[in-house]
Formats: sequence, structure tokens, C-alpha cells
Amino acid sequence: MMDNKNIPNVETTNQENAAPETSIGFGYKMLRFQKKIVAPTLRHILLALICGFWLIPIVWLVATSFSAYDGVNISRFFPKEWSISAYTRLFNPGDDTANQYLVWFKNTFFIAICTCVISTVFVLCVAYAMSCMRFAGRKFMMKMAMILTMFPGFLSMIIVYMILKTVGLTNSHFGLILCYSAGSGLGYLVAKGFFDTIPVSLREAAKIEGCSEAKIFTHIVVPLSRPIIVYTVISSFLAPWMDFVMAKIMLNSGIATDWTVSIGLYKMLDMTRVNQYFTRFCAGGVLVSIPISLLFILMQKFYVEGITGGAVKG
Amino acid sequence: MKKLLCMVMVLAMVLSLCACGDTTTTDPSKTPGESQNPSSSKEPEASKDPASLPTVTLTVWGGEGEESQAFLKAAVEAFKEANKDKANFDIKIGAESESTVKDTVLADPEAAADVFYMADDQVAALVAAGAIAEVIFETDKVIEENGGQDSGSIKAASVDGKLYAFPATASNGYFMFYNKEYFSEDDVKSFEKMVEVAAAAGKKVSFQMDSGWYLYGFFNGAGLSATLNEDGKTNSCDWNATSGTYTGVQVAESILNLVASEGFTAASDADFQTGIAEGTIIAGVNGTWNAKAAEAAWGENYAATKLPTFNVNGTDVQMSSYAGYKLVAVSNYSENTNYAMALARFLTNYDNQVMRFEMVGEGPSNVQAASSEKVLADPATAALAAQGAYATVQRIGNNFWDPSQTLGTILAQGNPDNIDLQTLLDNAVEGITAPIIE
Repeated sequence: MMDNKNIPNVETTNQENAAPETSIGFGYKMLRFQKKIVAPTLRHILLALICGFWLIPIVWLVATSFSAYDGVNISRFFPKEWSISAYTRLFNPGDDTANQYLVWFKNTFFIAICTCVISTVFVLCVAYAMSCMRFAGRKFMMKMAMILTMFPGFLSMIIVYMILKTVGLTNSHFGLILCYSAGSGLGYLVAKGFFDTIPVSLREAAKIEGCSEAKIFTHIVVPLSRPIIVYTVISSFLAPWMDFVMAKIMLNSGIATDWTVSIGLYKMLDMTRVNQYFTRFCAGGVLVSIPISLLFILMQKFYVEGITGGAVKG
Repeated sequence: MKKLLCMVMVLAMVLSLCACGDTTTTDPSKTPGESQNPSSSKEPEASKDPASLPTVTLTVWGGEGEESQAFLKAAVEAFKEANKDKANFDIKIGAESESTVKDTVLADPEAAADVFYMADDQVAALVAAGAIAEVIFETDKVIEENGGQDSGSIKAASVDGKLYAFPATASNGYFMFYNKEYFSEDDVKSFEKMVEVAAAAGKKVSFQMDSGWYLYGFFNGAGLSATLNEDGKTNSCDWNATSGTYTGVQVAESILNLVASEGFTAASDADFQTGIAEGTIIAGVNGTWNAKAAEAAWGENYAATKLPTFNVNGTDVQMSSYAGYKLVAVSNYSENTNYAMALARFLTNYDNQVMRFEMVGEGPSNVQAASSEKVLADPATAALAAQGAYATVQRIGNNFWDPSQTLGTILAQGNPDNIDLQTLLDNAVEGITAPIIE
């Protein structure tokens, strides 16, 4: 009876629900459609638009660098005639003494590599000391470092220039490397955050086995910190590679073979030169971005891991 | 152990600094790449010379352009050759823009080159800072060669009657470029006629109205002045004059009249280059730095002449302009002032001014060189020389630029808000003559 009673009940409910169910199904499908198709499409259109806007200057730079016309032409987006002559002339300056792109590129690369090596070592050492060692004044030094990094670097530029001038290190790439890498240890915080996540027990075990701090650092901590090393390498390469202000102040002899890429390109925009050099300026700008792009593409995986690595301490 | 390591590290750092300091101070001219070479390697060279002449190290800065660098190289070689009995010269050629060299020099006068090229508007500031030395070498001869005490180039290079630099070129002024295909020689005599012709052809005549440097040509042409006061900082200006031959309002009206024409455009430098390359601009006021672009675009039809007249209150008035010169100065901090003076003098003598004209295309300031046939055959230089009769030396304080640019911008837009012209000029003059707060 119960069953009999129940069955029609179920049937009726089914029948009653039949119409609504299809409407729910339809609504559900609509919802699904909205969720899976409409929203992502809109989202992607928006992203594509933002991306498009964002890429306009870059596309323009690349397009203009392949122009056959030497000067500034702002009446059209894409050049009238295409040519790679800007690139070939950039690398074959002939007697044009103020156009030494290859030399500038080498100079910048040398400075960036040296700075990169030195400041990576500095940053990792400081971070290790602050994170893994305990000594008197550690907290105080960390606070001081924090305060020092809050001052903009521009404040010290004139003084740094004066000091290096008395020592005779202006107009020298060594002086520039010194400027870039000397204070880099202050940027240890991110690396310290990462080192903090390495279990203390590992280091203690090593210590019990008779490891010195140096050995713990090189044999235990460094191999475990690949992501943060990659991050440090990239960031300490980028700073000197893209710097203009410091280089302009330090390298003031006017001798073109001393310049870095950024100074050389800046000089191409002088009023009397821009007519002949604008396309080459664009070509130089495109070329200078290649090493950075390569570095990023090669190390992208580690990069993300690196900057978020210290964030999930716990 | 740790302490020992610390000591060693500190010592190593200090020593390395000292070592570098030594090589660079004994031989400041060396490029960093060479700094490993011991400085003693130079001595054998000097002793090889029978007379064992002193070695003189100099640095010269000139414009960054390929041509002016090539000129410098050639002239410096000639200087070495001409003075090889006096000293062994080690002369480095650097590239610093003539228009902004002041900023580089004033950032650290001690680090400046011994000899450098500059545009004449920077003399006053450099003299005030004590960065450049007074000319003490063949001064009278230099003045005579450049047309005497009252000539523009000497005035431009002097402060308080003392000559502080050697005039090198007379090339920084502006004049009228035009395309012969559209304009006859009579057309280019009047600005009104030119815009009329351009409007009829559906093309444009360009004049960079929104720049005080160019705008000055209209007002000064009509006899309204803007000059530097004796204090060397503030300006006096009567562009808002309500009496006199022409009033300020009349000049502004004739400018607005030109701007209103279909054939007029207030193109910037970049727009001008684009315009002549594209064929939309068929004439324009600009300087020698755009001569090559104009010649390339117009070919056989390329021509240049002095500035035209413009119509003020029914009368045709000749436009004036700023005359600009490039000068060669000697740093006050040079360790070899005498040799530096000699080099600066050599770079600006007759032969080298002619050579500079031939290689760089900048007209000479030397009167004799300027009147040579070769120079007069160049349209741009000839036009600039013709305009020279109506041009004045640029002597104006910093407060001039922003207010005059604002005025020019409003005029170039045709006074869109219909501001009373007298008020507009009064405001500009107030800004130009404002005292300098320090």
C-alpha cells in the first residue's frame, strides 16, 4: 500500500515537475553557456583589448626600426618602405665615431654581468647571515638596512660621484660596477624570506656532522634555493642593464667608446641628430630588449616560484 | 680565523681601490679598457723623440653628428701636424651636443673637456659659473676676422666686453625653406602671399608659432623688443606696447590673420620633417639642421631665402629672427690652458671654418670665409646670411621661454577662447619680465 501510494505520488510529482524541470534544465544550460562561453569570451576580449593597447608602442618601435626612412615620421603607423638598413648601419658605423653600438652593447653587457655576479653573491651571503645565523646586533642591522633601503638612491648619487672622483674611478666601468653592486646586499629581504623556509633541522644536522657555516651555505642552503638564486640573478642583471641616470653621471668624458647602450641611444635623440638616427635609435631599442627577453623566457618557471617562495612560510 | 679573513678582505679592497686610483690619476685620459697597462709604457715613446717634447693630453667635445665628428678628427690631426715641433699631443675627441653641453659642464666643471663646442646662448651661464676661460690668445685677430667688435658673432661670444669663446660658425638661426615648384621668387617675399599660394595648392606653410624662439621674429620685426637686463637674469619686454609705430595688439592680429589661413600650419620640428617628406608642407621657417631633409624631399626645387615680410596694420614689415652661433670655449679647469687655447683658435681659423662648412654644412662666422663663393652657393647658408641683416643675437633670460610659448600656443590655435589680445599680451609680458626668485 505504501508502495502503491507512493508510486503515484512520485509520478505526480514527476509529472508536476516535468515542465519546471525542462525550464530548470534550460536555465542550467543557459547558466552553463554563460559560465563556460560568454564570460570567458568577454573576459578574453577585454584582455585582448588591454593587451593590444599595451603592445601598441612596442609594435610601433619594432615596425619603425625596420623603416627605410631615417628620420621621424609621425604621420603613419607602419613605415612606407621596409628595410633592415638601420640594423646593418648600427653594426657598421664606419667612421661615425659617436655611433658605436656594438661597443656600447659590449660595455653594458660586461658591466651587467660583473654586477650580476657580485651582487648575487652579496645578496645571498647577507640573506644567509640574517636568516640562519644568530649574532649580536642582527636585529639592529636588519632594521638599519630596512631604513636605508627606504631612501631613494638618487639622494646619494652626487656624493657617490664625488667620492669616486677623488679616487679617480669616474669614467671607468669598474667604478660603475662598484656603484651598482656595492650596496646591493641591502636587497636581501626576499632571499631571507626564502631561506627562512629551509628547515632548521637540516642545518643542525649538518652542523652536528661538523660542517662550518660556509659549508652549510654552499652545500645545504644554496642547492635548495635554486628559485631564489634565479630571481636574484635576474634582478641584479636588470638593474645595470637598464640603468641610465647613474651611467650618465659617472661616464661624463664624452668619449663614445666608454658609453653604455642607454647613453648612446639617448645621444641619438639630440635635435641635430634625430633626423638621421631615429630609425637606428628604434633598432637599438629593439636589440637591447633581446637579452632581457631571453633571460626571462629561459628562467620564467623559476622566476614565479622564486618570488612567491618566501611568501608561503608557515 | 674569521678576524684574519676579515682583515685580509678589507686590505684587499683598500689595495685594489688604491691601485686603480693610481693608474687613473697619473693618466686620466686612459680609457678603462686600457687601464691595466702600466703608465710607464708611455715613457719610451716620449724619449724616442729626439727633442723629448712634453706630452700634452687634451680632450675636445664636439657635436655628436657623424659629419661634425669627422670634421673634428680631421682638424685635430691637422693641429697635431702643425704643432708637432711643440709637443706630443694626445687629443681625445668626445661627443657632446652643442645645445646641451652647458648642463654637462656645469654638472662638474672639473671633469669637462679642455676645449668644447657650444651654442652661443650658453655663454652667460658658463661665464657666471666660472667654467670657461677668457680668450687671451690672438684676441684682436679673432675679433677682426669675425667682423669687428660690433659683429653678431663677437657680441654673442662676449660677456661684459670680454671675449670668452672663439666664434666657429654662424649657423644657428632660422630662415625660410620653400619648394620652387609652388612659389616664385616674388611669392616668398610676403608671408601673406605664401600662405595664399599654399592654400590655393591645398598645401601648408609651416612656422613653429608655439616657440618663443621663432615667435620673437614677428614682434622684433615690428620693433617690439624682448631683451636681457643688465643683471644677466631678468628680462625687459614691450610686446604689449600700446603706442609706437606698431602696437602689440596689431602684431598679434596679423599673426592671427596668418594662422587663420588654410595654408598655414604651426608644425613642430618633427611635424615639419614629416610634412616635407610627405609633401604636405611646401615651405617653412626652420634652420640649417633641416636643410638636408628639405633638399632630399624637394630635390631640384629646393630653395631657401630670408624670412618674408608680414602685414601689420596695412604695412609690410620685415620679419626679424634670432641669430645663433656656435662657439669654441676653453675650460677654466684645463691643465693645459695654453695648448687648449691654441687648439680652440686652430679649430676656428679660416681654413677650418671653411672645412667645417664643407663637411658639416654650417656657415662660417669668419667674415672672409662667409663671403666666399662656395659658401654663398649653398642656399641654406646664403639665406641665413641674408637674414643676418635683420637678425639679433639671442640675449634673453630663462623666464622668456614659458610665457612666450604659452602666448604662441594660444595664437597658433587662433585664440580659441577669444581672450582680449591686450590682456593676453599683458600676461605674457608679466611672465617674461617676472623677477627671479632665488
